[in-house]
Amino acid sequence: MSNTLIKLENIQKIFFTDEVETHALSDITLTIDKGEYVSISGPSGCGKSTLLSLLGLLDASTEGLYQLAEHDVSNISKRERARIRNMEIGFIFQSFNLISDLDVEENIELPLTYRKDLNKAQRKTMVDNALAKVNMSHRAKHFPSQLSGGQQQRIAVARAIAGNPSIILADEPTGNLDSKNAEAVMELLDLLHAEGATICMVTHDPRSAQRAARNIDILDGQVISDKPLSKENKSNTIVAA
Amino acid sequence: MIWQDFKYAIRLLSKKPGFTALTTLVMATGIGLSVYMFTFFHTILFKDLDFKDGASLVMISGSVNGKQDGYRINALDYAEIMRSVKGLKEYGGYNNANVVVSATEGAIRFPAVLAQANIFQLTRTEPILGRSFRSEDEKIGSEKVVVIGFELWQSQFSGGNDVLKQSMRINGEKYNVVGVMPEGYMFPRNAQIWLPLQIDPRLLTRENSTVLRGLAHLEDGVSMAEVNRELSVVMKRIENQHPQTNTGVGAHVTSIPGVGGADGAPVIYTMHTVAVLILLLASINVGNLLLSRALERGKETAIRVALGAPRSRLISQMLWESTIICTLGGMIGFLVMAWGLEVTEPIVATFYADPLAFWWDFGIDSYSVTLFLIILISTIFVTGLLPAWRSTGGDFNAVLRDGTRGAQGKKAGRLNRALVISEIFISMTVLIASAVMVQSAYEQTNRDMGANTENTLVASVLLPEANYDSDAKKAQFTKTLQSRLENSGAIETAMLATSLPGHYSSISKVIIEGKEYGKDSNNSYPSANDIAIMPGSLAKLGVELRQGRYFNNSDDGLEKSTALVSESFAKRHFPQQDAIGQRFRLAKTTKDTLQWVTIVGVVEHTIQGNRDGDAASMPSIYRPLTQTPGKQLTIAMQLSAKANLAVQHLRKVLQGIDSELASYRIETYQASNDRITAPVVFISSLTAIFALAGVVLAASGIYGVMANTISQRTQEIGIKRALGADEERITKEFVFAGVKLLLWGGIPGILAGGFMGFAMAQMFGTSYSALIFMVITMVSIVVATVLVATYLPTKNALRLEPSQALHYE
Repeated sequence: MSNTLIKLENIQKIFFTDEVETHALSDITLTIDKGEYVSISGPSGCGKSTLLSLLGLLDASTEGLYQLAEHDVSNISKRERARIRNMEIGFIFQSFNLISDLDVEENIELPLTYRKDLNKAQRKTMVDNALAKVNMSHRAKHFPSQLSGGQQQRIAVARAIAGNPSIILADEPTGNLDSKNAEAVMELLDLLHAEGATICMVTHDPRSAQRAARNIDILDGQVISDKPLSKENKSNTIVAA
Repeated sequence: MIWQDFKYAIRLLSKKPGFTALTTLVMATGIGLSVYMFTFFHTILFKDLDFKDGASLVMISGSVNGKQDGYRINALDYAEIMRSVKGLKEYGGYNNANVVVSATEGAIRFPAVLAQANIFQLTRTEPILGRSFRSEDEKIGSEKVVVIGFELWQSQFSGGNDVLKQSMRINGEKYNVVGVMPEGYMFPRNAQIWLPLQIDPRLLTRENSTVLRGLAHLEDGVSMAEVNRELSVVMKRIENQHPQTNTGVGAHVTSIPGVGGADGAPVIYTMHTVAVLILLLASINVGNLLLSRALERGKETAIRVALGAPRSRLISQMLWESTIICTLGGMIGFLVMAWGLEVTEPIVATFYADPLAFWWDFGIDSYSVTLFLIILISTIFVTGLLPAWRSTGGDFNAVLRDGTRGAQGKKAGRLNRALVISEIFISMTVLIASAVMVQSAYEQTNRDMGANTENTLVASVLLPEANYDSDAKKAQFTKTLQSRLENSGAIETAMLATSLPGHYSSISKVIIEGKEYGKDSNNSYPSANDIAIMPGSLAKLGVELRQGRYFNNSDDGLEKSTALVSESFAKRHFPQQDAIGQRFRLAKTTKDTLQWVTIVGVVEHTIQGNRDGDAASMPSIYRPLTQTPGKQLTIAMQLSAKANLAVQHLRKVLQGIDSELASYRIETYQASNDRITAPVVFISSLTAIFALAGVVLAASGIYGVMANTISQRTQEIGIKRALGADEERITKEFVFAGVKLLLWGGIPGILAGGFMGFAMAQMFGTSYSALIFMVITMVSIVVATVLVATYLPTKNALRLEPSQALHYE
């Protein structure tokens, strides 16, 4: 059985607006193995968030092959994409994207409610575990507006991991946080990775990028470098931070 | 500064002409319809009369068992009221009448007023020529005098100053003209002839007294409610003293225009409520559209705040948009409303055979202008203030920092839900109430009133008392008229009656032989339409015989006493027996009417007058005109030639019999029947317009609010999809949310609309099955609207890829 979780081959993404073609991604080919911690970096508008959207099946590529866990997901139905997002992928967004009308517990439970294989008691256990993992059990009944930015992002992390996904996709997870809260969230991701989670994180913050084991650098929609980060580099960065 | 804001608002509105046109049209509809409806009813029912002290002038009417239907008052009761009620002064009384005037061009029938002497003093108006009535004019046997109106003076006397030396032949008798009233003067009805009301003291018995309409002024500082309380006490006292005649008899005062609305209160209140709801619906729609636009401009507002704009300035700038839209829409609505009022008058004129009430001057007046301005200012604030307040109170820093307009929080969600619930509630209420009204009109216009109206012309003729002072003369006239009319190539058959099927008839209390009634009150006797008709006429009119026989020659003779009764009469009074051979008498105690009348036949039920409620189911008795001749006759002529030939023949025949007879209200039988249902058809047409406006406003409004709500939740949809929710689930979730709103707004809407519909159904006699059908149909329309309004925007939001939805602005 292969260890490859994600395999992209010659992925292209073109946006068509007002008769103008915008090549957001060109000829992207890469693989991500299970248990890897990958950061995707690059300047604003380079296409890194578009790549993450494709990886998360939030959008479809214009051309190319996408295999997730050895299954071709390039041309699957919307319903199947939704199912895979729910079962296999956990998202963490820059702006947290918690639903303001739901309390913390309900926000975390939300993706679990989309699954037919879980009963209420099972969902409750999974929510409690996720809350405990991010040390937010005491805020279970609070609404997002009653939490700080750092706390909201921890809840977003809890929501992402509650369903035990195959991969966590994080889009600028520290972009809206101060350095202290950013550090706390990054530590949380480190911990998850240490426990075996596969993480793919988009960031333009070099310090965050350096915490990954591998960095993919993108410019103008193309991968310009894809290299492992040495332990030395990582520790230096952490010390400097 | 204000000018700058105004210019900016104009620029914004002109940049989106579709939006501006839509909102302006919505406001024009809301303001125009509501001002029209209020002005219409104000003109008919609530307008102060344009006389000095007109505001304190009231009419005193009777009621029976609480039903206020413009009943006249027994003269003895009225005398007691005049003695006892202290809240009123300057009592007067009158009766309406039709008179035949012998003019140079032949006999003409005129509406007239038989009035007590102070009739003109009540309106503080003096004749321009001659004198008013004097108290001696009211005495039986005094000189016969008449006061005429300006227009009659001009048309019949060429405006000559010697009119006071002239006389008029009215109802076959000579009346000296003693006064001419000013131009345009009409009171208390649209008439040009005033005759003194002479009450024969010999007839002043409780059982058979003259009845009249009372007039008076309120004492200074006394309200109508206070007078009504006094009247209740007085009438109760009379009832205790004279239970036989006065049980259940009451009296009340209203403004003179208000008399017409006494028993139509459910319709009037419903129509006013519907008008207010339509205005509210329009305001919510425009308010919501302005709110969504204001939210779209959240970033611009944030920049203004960052540049130091105070909140009051932001609100003022946003209020300009609603001011322009409401003013523009209001002016369009006002112009259309003015046109509507103008065309209303000729339409309303078709409801009545006589001229319209003199105060019914449909058009723009101070009331409509004031109301328009109040509504305009209210709508500006309702539509503008909330969006302005909401959109200027957000977290501008977050908007500037994120570059988005920010997620919609709980408050915004609550506001949107409140808007949708309001729209559902209002539309449900308006639709149900309107549908019941339209259904009632449909039922009334299509109700079988029991006779065939095809190819038939009708006319009325009034026999002057002076020339026809005995039943024998009247009976002879009737026979002569029928035989001469039928002796013509233009008229196939002629039918004569005091009232034809479909027309209003007099109602009498009847006593069935062998039955026992409460002896303490005449009101315990059952009522029936009391019609005299020429033998053979019912068969010719197509009123089918159910049992026994029609009238024939054996019924001819004033000494005979036979009758036909309607099937409804037979069923009601002889449910287990054969009605033929049974006897009844009228519940009058004069010697003339003490005779028992034998039923010789049963005919199908006919409706006399109103097609609704108790009136439509009122049973009828028919007596031969040759036994009980009447002085006011309706002639129905089945035509065998063109109508004008028949009319010519009718006039020739009448002139040949008596030169002082006038035929009037010549029209087709169908038209005369249509006139009876015309008011309800008109009101229901108005209601249908309101309902249509309601449906369009509600559908567009609910769609607008739902689309806005769902649009504001696009990011949320993106989040949920990112977390694995598929399209079906999201659609179900939103549709379910729509259904929840539907229940919140719909249940109170069904209750409110059902309540109004029930009140109207009771009034019009609409069947409950029809009411339930209407409620179900209207509820289905609103449910379908909400579901479509939820489904389509959800589908639109789902067209975006989740990644786009997550970053949707």
